[in-house]
Amino acid sequence: MSEDHHHPLPTTPVEDRVAVLEALLIEKGILEPAAMDRVIEHYEHEVGPLNGAKVVARAWVDPAYRARLLADGTAAIAELGFGGPEGDHMVVVENTPEVHNVVVCTLCSCYPWPVLGLPPTWYKSPPYRSRMVREPRVVLREMGCALPEDVEIRVWDSSAEVRYLVLPMRPEGTEGAPEESLAGLVTRDAMIGVARL
Amino acid sequence: MKPSQVHDAGFAEPSLPRSNGALVFEAPWQGRALAMAVLVVERTGRQWDDFRRELIAAIADDVDRPYWESWVVALDRFIDDVGLLR
Repeated sequence: MSEDHHHPLPTTPVEDRVAVLEALLIEKGILEPAAMDRVIEHYEHEVGPLNGAKVVARAWVDPAYRARLLADGTAAIAELGFGGPEGDHMVVVENTPEVHNVVVCTLCSCYPWPVLGLPPTWYKSPPYRSRMVREPRVVLREMGCALPEDVEIRVWDSSAEVRYLVLPMRPEGTEGAPEESLAGLVTRDAMIGVARL
Repeated sequence: MKPSQVHDAGFAEPSLPRSNGALVFEAPWQGRALAMAVLVVERTGRQWDDFRRELIAAIADDVDRPYWESWVVALDRFIDDVGLLR
């Protein structure tokens, strides 16, 4: 191989700043490398959309759980063991044949970490944040989620006070399917509301 | 070509974790910036909303700045506000 396969990329100023901050905080005894690694590992591997998918699948098979979830999202999600930073004040909004819900955070990147993991890049982008509020039907169509004109679209702006999770409609033909396989059908994008199942 | 397209084309480091096919972090420093914010909030007894306010302000300062760079600006200010490195 003539090209340098592992040619190191030059570091950027922001990358350098992160390294400096980390070194200073470690030197001051405020954090230690093992704790850093534990947090990163947690967000890379332990929290993610699978948690939210379990919540959705439970709501599909258990009407009492669904009612609790819609009444108090935070408490019902905690029943399944999910909670933590960005997981307070959860409100679950339910899709129906008449109403489609979609979530955005116009100010920053509020997003329900415990059930969806960290937000995807497009969720944090200025165009998504501004356009989803202004022209949701157009943006949804561009994202591959074209909705019939008679379906009402409700856009929910996540904030410090409230973080939203969309409860998608259960796909037809899944009657009698076990909860675990139902969870496998639920995607992150469906729980943000930019896709339908 | 944007980084995301590079990853989609299959050139990403295989070790980078993905969530539903999307990269969790585009570069390791982003994960470290996230972890630092989580830990600093936790260990100073502050609320996550305190950090979020800095993040909202940093994003509003420069809407075209890449997201994780605004995150680091917010982290810098938060650490300064709390007086951790003084």
